[in-house]
Amino acid sequence: MSLRKIANVVGLLQVFVALAMVAAAGVALGYGDGDAPAFLLSAGITAGVGLAAYRLTRFEGDLTQREGFAIVTLAWTATALFGSLPYLLTGVVESPMPAVFEAMSGFTTTGATIFRDIESLPHGILFWRSLTHWLGGMGIIVLVIAVLPFLGVGGMQLFQAEVPGPTPERLRPRITQTAKLLWFVYVGLTAAEAALYLLGGMGAFDAVNHAFATMATGGFSTRNASIAAYDSAYIHWVTVVFMYLAGVNFSLHFRAATGSFTYWKDREWRFFTGVVVAAAAVIAVVNLAAGSYGAAGVEPAIRDAVFQVVAIVTTTGFVSADYELWMPAAQMVLFALFFVGGMAGSTGGGVKAVRVLLLLKQTANELRRHLHPRAVLVARVGRKPVREEVMANIVGFVILYLLLCLAGAVAMSFLGMDLLTAIGASIATVGNVGPGFGDVGATDNYAWISDPALAVLSFLMLVGRLEIYTVLLLFHPEMWKRRKSFH
Amino acid sequence: MRVLVVGAGEVGFHLAKRLSEESQDVVLIESDPERAEFAQQHLDVLTLQGNGASLSVLEQAGIDSCSMMLAVTSRDEVNLIACLAAKRSGVRYTTARISNPDYYETGSVLSREHMGIDLMINPERECAWETFQILQSAAATDVAQFADGRVQLLGLQVKEGAKVAGKSLAQLGREMSDHHYITAAIVRDGITTIPDGDSVIQEGDHLYMLAPTTEVRDIPPLAGYDAYDLKRVMIAGGSAEGEYLARILEDHGVEVTILDHDRRRCLELAEALPRALVLHADATDLELLEMEGVAGIDGYVSATGNDETNLLSSLLAKTVGARKVVSLVHKFEYLPLVPRVGVDASVSPRMAAVNAILRYVRRGRVMAVASLAGIDAEAIEFRVDADSAVAGRRLRDLHLPANAVVGTLVRGEEVIVPRGDDEILAGDEVIIFAMPDAIPEIEALFDA
Repeated sequence: MSLRKIANVVGLLQVFVALAMVAAAGVALGYGDGDAPAFLLSAGITAGVGLAAYRLTRFEGDLTQREGFAIVTLAWTATALFGSLPYLLTGVVESPMPAVFEAMSGFTTTGATIFRDIESLPHGILFWRSLTHWLGGMGIIVLVIAVLPFLGVGGMQLFQAEVPGPTPERLRPRITQTAKLLWFVYVGLTAAEAALYLLGGMGAFDAVNHAFATMATGGFSTRNASIAAYDSAYIHWVTVVFMYLAGVNFSLHFRAATGSFTYWKDREWRFFTGVVVAAAAVIAVVNLAAGSYGAAGVEPAIRDAVFQVVAIVTTTGFVSADYELWMPAAQMVLFALFFVGGMAGSTGGGVKAVRVLLLLKQTANELRRHLHPRAVLVARVGRKPVREEVMANIVGFVILYLLLCLAGAVAMSFLGMDLLTAIGASIATVGNVGPGFGDVGATDNYAWISDPALAVLSFLMLVGRLEIYTVLLLFHPEMWKRRKSFH
Repeated sequence: MRVLVVGAGEVGFHLAKRLSEESQDVVLIESDPERAEFAQQHLDVLTLQGNGASLSVLEQAGIDSCSMMLAVTSRDEVNLIACLAAKRSGVRYTTARISNPDYYETGSVLSREHMGIDLMINPERECAWETFQILQSAAATDVAQFADGRVQLLGLQVKEGAKVAGKSLAQLGREMSDHHYITAAIVRDGITTIPDGDSVIQEGDHLYMLAPTTEVRDIPPLAGYDAYDLKRVMIAGGSAEGEYLARILEDHGVEVTILDHDRRRCLELAEALPRALVLHADATDLELLEMEGVAGIDGYVSATGNDETNLLSSLLAKTVGARKVVSLVHKFEYLPLVPRVGVDASVSPRMAAVNAILRYVRRGRVMAVASLAGIDAEAIEFRVDADSAVAGRRLRDLHLPANAVVGTLVRGEEVIVPRGDDEILAGDEVIIFAMPDAIPEIEALFDA
């Protein structure tokens, strides 16, 4: 474990964060908000500290796996800390903790906000919020790997630690090429969505911001009422389609872009899509049967059901309807979706569909083992068997995930939240969804929450985004023990 | 024709023996001095001690004048190199015994188009297919197919009180004129005879019957067996043969349970076989076998790498009530033992390889051949060309040797169980059952 190496890489990454701030300064300047100096000052501080760390240290040899975990966790922490500077220096947030929460919520693509009145925020800040989503969605480190091949083999360690899912797929022999291709698909889909928004009559600024937030499965909107602010079925459906696409493995999109449609062959895709369709159908039927859409008709009921299901399962967290007014049965289905998440290799958070699928198969196997005590049973995705170690890793992950949700909820209740809100806030942040239930529900925000609770929730967002192991390992005593090495 | 056989293991030895009995000139190359010595003493072949993949040894064996190379050592790579060297030296036909599927799968660089190896035989897979065919028939001890599977040869033992017992073939032919089959050989007390109309079938006889595949199901009841469907099979032993068989059974919708004593092998099997139930258990663990429902199971195949374990495991399964028990037997010496200890049938990967290779050796007019474990006779399939001397002649005028019989004629889609008056036409496929010493004469007859 070399702290110098870690500081070196983390420092360099901050320079990229500073560049993003310069872009936001450009937007602020363009709209004449008068916030450009604050953004440039933030960029200066971030770049200054980053460059200092980078120049005062040296990167030698290869990265070990432990160093990879440390770099990713510390880089994300530093990014959230520096990313809070624009909020503080422009004066839209008065104290540090809410600013850090907002930045963390942005980068982790959670989309939980501490702003009560979003529409009163200046353009530069709104753009910065969306930009944090967009950078965090595909991963800052993946971006840096795509641009800078200097990490060499060590890049794979970082890539693995940052990309969601059990085992990231390499599309090309070189990790740099793979990262580039993923960003290529990401940029392409974002541009397509923004263009479709424009066609639907959304303003250019809102179109870009919502496209950023959708493709990152983030959920920050430029409107207080989120997507519900647009009374347009077209805009709702465009959002549904792109939220869904953002929740699908980007490798599949890449293959589709190169002419081979392999979606149907992918078992995780079938499962993920099956869950979406089934959940949406159940909710639509429940809501229609309850008569809550009496006058509005069938299409809005189906649209809202599909929208909310996709928004929650992909962990985007946009809102087209206040789901807390739905029938308890419909709400419960949504609640269950908080634990599914997007596909591995997507920008979505949560447990990930493939893990849920494998856990279900493993459970079926355990039942079967009672009939045949000596049976050797292997869980498989399609025909592809899953190795025992991978399965154990997945079971461990899901247990940790649930424990984390529980621990978060307990912590929130100690910090004064009621039961439903505590559970809602916990699962919405660990899963990087954004809106939860109770006082952090569909139409609420996180503005009223105390600093200590915000600190805990920020931590939960980080742990959820980096898929638990990466972060928790830093708290394992053996992680920091010195080992002799030949380097 | 001069034939070069590389490897004097069970397969090579048996091949050399068969071919020399059929008046071929055989040169046998073996690297192990003791085994080479043994072959020299027991076979009428030229034996060389050396590496069959070495060009100097091949030259010494007279590779220039050989028209066929059969590389059948237990090592894939040696066999491949020997075949490639033979091809370079101008040997027309090459056959390699290959167990690793990577080498023979379509698209392999070693395939026929790329390297010119004419035939790759996988003993384990051949053996698995044979086992599957035996399992499919309740009574069969041996099964072989001819004419693209339209004709089957079935070996079975006559049960006590069977319909056919105590009757002569002529009598049976009169009583059951609606049955289409021919009794091609009778094995009694280890002696094989090609029967005629006066031969009488006795209880306990081992019969070899040829019949159209569509009517094979009618044969077992004649010998006193119930007809049955293959629904559930247990395979004890995760050997290569066991795995191939499990795959074949899976593909045919049969419910498969396979067990092995090695946990790591079990994991491999569980990964390779999506539908089979894999158990980590011993092939002789009676309690477990009973718990997993061996009683009344349609088929039980013991397929470990150990012959003794296989025989013991098969016996246990038979005792507990498995309906059909097949044992994998590697050592040729054990093959005659199988019926005596009460196991229904045995299969041997090496015998399967020998059969597959012999089928190929007699290429040209000969299309298929089956050597059968425990008996000397062979079934051979010929195609009759327009210029053949036998075309247009009646069977009774052929004057076949006494120890040979025409089993079936296949004419287009039609399968004919012939009588003496039937004529052979050009284009027919003729399946003949014969003792080895009659084979050269028959080959001459059909070649002329």
